[in-house]
Amino acid sequence: MIIRRYGVAILLSFMILFLLSAFLLLSFREGAFDAHIMLAGGIFAAFVLVQYNVLAAVFRRIDRYVLLITDFLQIISVIMLYRMKPETGERQIIWILIGTVLMVIALTVVRRAGNFGRWNLLFMILAVGLLGVTLVLAQRTGGALNWLQIGPFSFQPSEFAKILFLIVTAYYLSTRQHRRDLWPYFLFTILCVLLLVAARDLGAALLFAGTFLIVFYVGTGSLWITLGAIGAFAGGAVASYYIFGHVRTRVQVWRDPWATYNENGYQIVQGLLAIASGGLLGSGLGNGMPQSIPVAESDYMFAAICEEFGIIVGVALIGFYLLFIVRGVLIAMDARTKFAKLLVFGATCLLALQSFIIIGGVIKMIPLTGITMPFVSYGGSSMLSSMMVLGIIEGIAVQNGEYEEAEIAEMGGQME
Amino acid sequence: MSRSNPNRSMKGMLVVFSVLFVMLASYLFYSTVTYGEQWFSSPYNPRISASRKVADAGSIYDRNGMPLAWSEGSVRRYAEDPEIRRAVCHVVGDVYGKSMGAEAFYARYLYGYDQGLIDRFVTAFEGDRKGGDVYLTIDARLCGYILEHMDFQGAVVLMNYETGEILASVSNPTFDPEAIPDGEEEETGSQYLNRVTQGRYPPGSTMKIVTAACAIENGVTDAVYDCPGEIVIAGQRITCPRDGGHGEEDLAGAFEDSCNVYFAQLAVTLGADRMTQTADRFLFNHAWHLADFAMLESSYSAGSNNGDLAWSGVGQYRDLITPMHNLLISGAVARQGSMIEPQTLLDVRYGGRSGYTYTPHTLGDPVSSSVAGTLGALMRATVLEGTATSADIEEAAVSGKTGTAEYTDNGETRNHSWFVGFSQDPAHPLAIAVILEGAGYGSRYATPLAGRVLSRAIELGY
Repeated sequence: MIIRRYGVAILLSFMILFLLSAFLLLSFREGAFDAHIMLAGGIFAAFVLVQYNVLAAVFRRIDRYVLLITDFLQIISVIMLYRMKPETGERQIIWILIGTVLMVIALTVVRRAGNFGRWNLLFMILAVGLLGVTLVLAQRTGGALNWLQIGPFSFQPSEFAKILFLIVTAYYLSTRQHRRDLWPYFLFTILCVLLLVAARDLGAALLFAGTFLIVFYVGTGSLWITLGAIGAFAGGAVASYYIFGHVRTRVQVWRDPWATYNENGYQIVQGLLAIASGGLLGSGLGNGMPQSIPVAESDYMFAAICEEFGIIVGVALIGFYLLFIVRGVLIAMDARTKFAKLLVFGATCLLALQSFIIIGGVIKMIPLTGITMPFVSYGGSSMLSSMMVLGIIEGIAVQNGEYEEAEIAEMGGQME
Repeated sequence: MSRSNPNRSMKGMLVVFSVLFVMLASYLFYSTVTYGEQWFSSPYNPRISASRKVADAGSIYDRNGMPLAWSEGSVRRYAEDPEIRRAVCHVVGDVYGKSMGAEAFYARYLYGYDQGLIDRFVTAFEGDRKGGDVYLTIDARLCGYILEHMDFQGAVVLMNYETGEILASVSNPTFDPEAIPDGEEEETGSQYLNRVTQGRYPPGSTMKIVTAACAIENGVTDAVYDCPGEIVIAGQRITCPRDGGHGEEDLAGAFEDSCNVYFAQLAVTLGADRMTQTADRFLFNHAWHLADFAMLESSYSAGSNNGDLAWSGVGQYRDLITPMHNLLISGAVARQGSMIEPQTLLDVRYGGRSGYTYTPHTLGDPVSSSVAGTLGALMRATVLEGTATSADIEEAAVSGKTGTAEYTDNGETRNHSWFVGFSQDPAHPLAIAVILEGAGYGSRYATPLAGRVLSRAIELGY
């Protein structure tokens, strides 16, 4: 244990060093030293240190890997945002602070609560309501109707519907003994996906559908129904290709973004140019031109990071997401109840699919669907919901730890 | 349902996720290693123009070493002779990125970026690099000659069809790269547009080469139609310009006379599927990915009824083609059916040392060599006794096809004048495409110009 803690301390020190040196570089960008930026970096570094140590002390069985990876992703996010648009970086730090509070709340609730059975119906109505209201009231942004404006705040309700969807999924699949009892859940899922498709939020629709398929397969073990459902969703996807012009456009742009450079291919091409221009080791922080990519601070953070930090760091980010996923699945396998297993697994799946869909889209491996990069993209809704997902995973991790301690105590052993 | 073991399926899914993420990382590596160079040097990359230091840029020469662009301190200078400067302006381009010429497309050589992925930016920011000198395949004198004799807006492009080297490429109107107005204000003129590669025109009767190719390869060579001067197909009236019509025509006669009535019926007989197949093989509706320059896609559509199909067979309806593509088609006829990739970059030299090897590439075989032979004979007869007699020059045996492409300009119907053709002489493997906008009949304007250009090119030793 000593060595492991030592390792964590070294990792954390490296991360803080990375953060501070990046901010030092950014403070000198305009020629003269900008104390304001350095101060922001210092505050954020202090926050990360305090956050990690307090959480590790209060929740002794919290999963440190997952927490460290999240911290690293957030650090690189704040650095890139400060480099591109300092005001977004500032706001991102605030979102991370609020997100940490929400994460602790989610952690505490999930750790203590049962399977939310009493709340299930409410959650379903709330999720469908959120998506439905968005569709009715939303303003148009970037082709999708997924933003809701309330007073001065605009938020993306599908980000929060995701959390409800995860809980409802875990509840149904862990409590129903017969498949025929699952029909309300099926209806709920289909309704959510259809509402998202209607709102042209294809990324989120893909996310919900994908998470449903994987968790359903794991929860029921019925390969054939899963394959059937995959077929149905694939059929739906093909149908949407023929029905919706914007789906066709996306596929065409994916196949040859250069041919439609002046219209729809512009963003993908600029993203690829950024990645290619950075090369293996990147142009160095502040030396690239990530601003030339449309919405670089949101969906296209991956290209911006690759340009300035290099493909090496891009690959490292992919590796960190994978490590996060491995830890998530291990926590799920370790969980004592089926509900807890499916909840954590679902949460992990969600993050896995989300990061895969956006990174794959940016590097043109799959068609691009607008979706945020967990913990990295700029945006309140995305950051808060990702932090809540993290809270769910950590909540079950802490719960697992408590069970383990109780089991050891029962056997007369003792924790070190 | 209780039989299922979530942990086992979770492990399975973990393997799936791992595979997906490894694929993600591998694809990122693969695509950057494979395409990174090409992407980076794309003219769309704002980073190159942003980091440009004109003082370090290499020079641009024509194939005979005539300087077309060079740097004097931080000022970019262009060919001394103002006529030549204008004639080659689209091929050479400008430093402001107004036009997509060599300045943009060969920036990687001119600014010395054609290195490995890693050390590229490092050296760029050290700023002690001198770029390479670029040699283009064009002959600037020939370009100047062409511009001097172009009385209309339009485009002329000449190629060595054996090697694919573009020997001359002129787009009119031109601009002066040394006198580009400063500032960001939008300019209305189309003088920055390179009509050779970016101008999409209805091919008019030059499309009959493709329609004839389709007929020959499908064995429909003995059709005879009567031309009374006009015909109505599915409610659409197709006319021949000649009063009273051409009378009874077979394929050879109709090709020589450029009879619309004949080719309209021929297209209907061949049908939409076969016409589309042949057009696709000639690379209509094809996104070009050429190594040396960007070119717009040409389009062919057989339409939804026989009237549209008939018009599409005579190069109207929705048919659109760039002069460069039309050149490639007549080049393919000259080359026994294989289409050559056009190239404009001849050499890159660093301190006199060559760092580039010119290699001809083909873009596929649109027709077989026997079909190409028959087409070549039709085109030769057109020059000898058909509509293109004014391209018949002493220096070489020229084959060709005229075209008169209708378009509407402010409600008024006008005609683009086309000529495409080639010299059959193996000593002078030249293919040419000429379009003069709104000039009128192809036989009267584009064809004689093509003849003069070919004569001049042969005189210059090509």
